[in-house]
Amino acid sequence: MMEVTSERRGTTVIINTAGRVDGSNASDFQDALEANIGADDTAVILNLAALDYISSAGLRIILLSAKNLRQRDVGFSICSLSSSVHELFIISGFDQIIAIHSSPETALAAQS
Amino acid sequence: MAEATYKILVVDDEVDLQPLMLQRMRRDIRSGRYSFVFAHNGIEALEMLNEDDSIDMVLSDINMPQMDGLTLLEQIPTVDPNIKSVIVSAYGDMKNIRTAMNRGAFDFVTKPLDFADLRITIERTLAHLTEWRAALASRDQLVSLQRELDVASKMQKSILPTRFPKRDDYEVFAHMEPARNVGGDFYDIIQLDGGRLGLCIADVSDKGVPAALFMMSSRTLLKGASIGCDNPGDVLREVNDLLRETNDTEMFVTLLYGIFDPATGDFTYANGGHNEPLLVNPDGGSSLIPRTGGIILGVMAGMEFADNTVNIAPGETLFLYTDGVSEAMNVTAEEFGMERLATIFANTPPSDAEETTMSVFKAVHAFAGETPQSDDITCLTLHRSEAGN
Repeated sequence: MMEVTSERRGTTVIINTAGRVDGSNASDFQDALEANIGADDTAVILNLAALDYISSAGLRIILLSAKNLRQRDVGFSICSLSSSVHELFIISGFDQIIAIHSSPETALAAQS
Repeated sequence: MAEATYKILVVDDEVDLQPLMLQRMRRDIRSGRYSFVFAHNGIEALEMLNEDDSIDMVLSDINMPQMDGLTLLEQIPTVDPNIKSVIVSAYGDMKNIRTAMNRGAFDFVTKPLDFADLRITIERTLAHLTEWRAALASRDQLVSLQRELDVASKMQKSILPTRFPKRDDYEVFAHMEPARNVGGDFYDIIQLDGGRLGLCIADVSDKGVPAALFMMSSRTLLKGASIGCDNPGDVLREVNDLLRETNDTEMFVTLLYGIFDPATGDFTYANGGHNEPLLVNPDGGSSLIPRTGGIILGVMAGMEFADNTVNIAPGETLFLYTDGVSEAMNVTAEEFGMERLATIFANTPPSDAEETTMSVFKAVHAFAGETPQSDDITCLTLHRSEAGN
């Protein structure tokens, strides 16, 4: 239902999340995010291009990650949101506290 | 850590057995593993069991005067159903052994006693006893947790209003069905001055006990902030800042709060990340009320919340709901969705707040079928009467 992979561009890690994130796998999602972030990474870009659905439990994990990374002075942004996921970020107001980009490239450009 | 001592009651009419047992088991007695007490028939054994509740297991002969071992086996559970018994029978006495097993004996050994085998049998019995007691303790814990959850569930239900304004000019009805014993959804109906009404619907980001605790504090903070405040945006800002002060777990709550003025039909609201309510016209046509751009509460302090006002004309209905409605799933993992919700109103234009509320629950249940409810479901309906003014 959910698949998390990652790729590195220098000290930035791009984490791709596909499928559904809801209450039933939110803690797996959290573990997967943590496992994909290295100690030396200076920025994290969460690519949600292949994310079909995210519930409030999943949003909470993204929020937790954003806050943890901010405390460690690691950059955090999300990119490539489908219209329905983007809608959710707007309704929840999370677009006000998390940087949203249209593609990994624009997110990378914003990091530098 | 010293291992526990197990007390074993040996029941046998042969007086020679007592010194023999003490002699052959002397190492286990000295190490503190076993202690033995002796009875010479069933009646004596029962008396000892009645007086001494520290006895863990019974090792009993079958043929004894006054009360035999098979009768004793029947009686032991009336004293303590958790005592395990091992029976000592004559070699090859399958009939009595079968009777003993059927009466609840855990195991049997045969005469003449092989003490090495007896020790294995005792250890096996005690191991089973230990597991059995751990399982019993877990069960007791579960039962007590379940009881606490039931109380929590009752407490939670009792803080949700169950008496609703039903007047000539308007009426309100609301209902919540938690997915588990306790939930994270809530609603509130708050009487404000000048005959105005504060209406709230909210959904905490999780379910179960943590959500219920967060829900309780959100609801209390909202009530405190709403009294004497005419500006829903200010109410949300205050609740948000207070929630942030004590939120280490990063829980959050989507919350819409608005003030309805029956004199004008105006509904002034601010939205902290909650699904937009539907405004339904007298013909059953519906549309979402405008967004106000507020963030979910409990996420970050110092956020501002904008207000907006919509007018609820006579005959119109405002329908507030949580995503337990729109995201309810059926057996094929399809979502109930907003279209189905709009269709309910289109088919039966709302005229009664209670009927409308319950018709949505009915439709969601019919749609979900056998699919277990995964999220709390809450609806609140405000209907302004056609003749109202």
